[in-house]
Amino acid sequence: MPDTYMVPEVLAAIGRECSRTTSYPITASDIRKWALAVYWPEMPPQKFIDAEYASEDFDPFAWGPQKYESLLPEDDGSVIYRHGINEDALGIPKWDFIVGLNGGMDCQYGVRMHVGDVITDVKSVGQWSERPGKNGLMLMTRHVSVWTNQRGEEVKRTINTGISY
Amino acid sequence: MTVNIGDVVPTFTRETGFANWNRYAAVNDEFVPIHMDDAAGEAAGNGGAFGMGNLQWAYLHNMLRSWIGETGEILAMEVQFRSPNVKGQTITAHGVVTAVEGDVVSLEVWTDQQDGIKLAPGTATVRMGK
Repeated sequence: MPDTYMVPEVLAAIGRECSRTTSYPITASDIRKWALAVYWPEMPPQKFIDAEYASEDFDPFAWGPQKYESLLPEDDGSVIYRHGINEDALGIPKWDFIVGLNGGMDCQYGVRMHVGDVITDVKSVGQWSERPGKNGLMLMTRHVSVWTNQRGEEVKRTINTGISY
Repeated sequence: MTVNIGDVVPTFTRETGFANWNRYAAVNDEFVPIHMDDAAGEAAGNGGAFGMGNLQWAYLHNMLRSWIGETGEILAMEVQFRSPNVKGQTITAHGVVTAVEGDVVSLEVWTDQQDGIKLAPGTATVRMGK
C-alpha cells in the first residue's frame, strides 16, 4: 500500500474527458423489466408497466452500449468502461486493491427518458482524495457522468463516488 | 397536498437478499461476486454477500415517487453508501422534509435496516405534483 495515492499522474488527470457511450434505443420492455425488479415483490406503478417513461434510476446502458468511444488519445477504445474510466490510459499507477465499492451518487435530473430515446453518456475525471479506513488507506474517486438524449437535452448529471482499498 | 418542514414521507420497505439482488442484477447486468457470493463479500470485509448500493438508490426513488404525486418530479438526489445491506436485512427508505419553496421540497433521505442503523444517508429535492 502506498503512502499516498495523490501522485502527479492522478492530479494531472483531473478534468479530462474520458469516454462517450451511446445506448441502444430504449424499449418498453427495458422500462418494464427495470421497474419490476426494483419494486419486487410488489408490482410497480402502472405507468412503468405501460412504459410511459422510465424511472429516474433506470440505466439504458445495462447489457452493453450501442457505441463506445474513448476520448483519450492513449486509449484505443477496445475495452468498454461502463461504470468507470480507463485509468491505465490516464497513467494512473496500478495499485493492488482488494475491492472497489460504490461510495455513493449525486444526481441532478433533467428530462425524462422515453421509449425510443438514445442516451449518450460522457464521462470525465472529477476529483480524487484519500483517507484512512479500517482496511487501510482508501482512494476515493468522484467522476462525472453527463447523459443527454438524441435531442441534446440533458437527462442526468451524476457524480459517482468510488472507494478502493 | 400542503407540505411542511418536518413532514415524514411514507416509507418504502423491503426484506432483502439474493431474491432481490438477483433480479436487480438481471436488469442491470450486475453479476458481481460481492453481491452473489459470501466468500467474496467476506473478503471485502463485510461478513458475506451484500446488496447493491444502486438498489437502495432505487428504493429511495420509489419512496419519493409514491409521495410526490403522478405529476411530481424527483429533481435531485445524493446519497452516500455507508454500511452494507447484508442478507436478511429489512431495508426501509425514509424521507423528512427540511425545506419548502413553492412546489419545490427539500428532504433528508436515508435507508436503514431493521435495527434503525442507517445504511445510506443523503438528501433529495422534488417538485410536488399538482
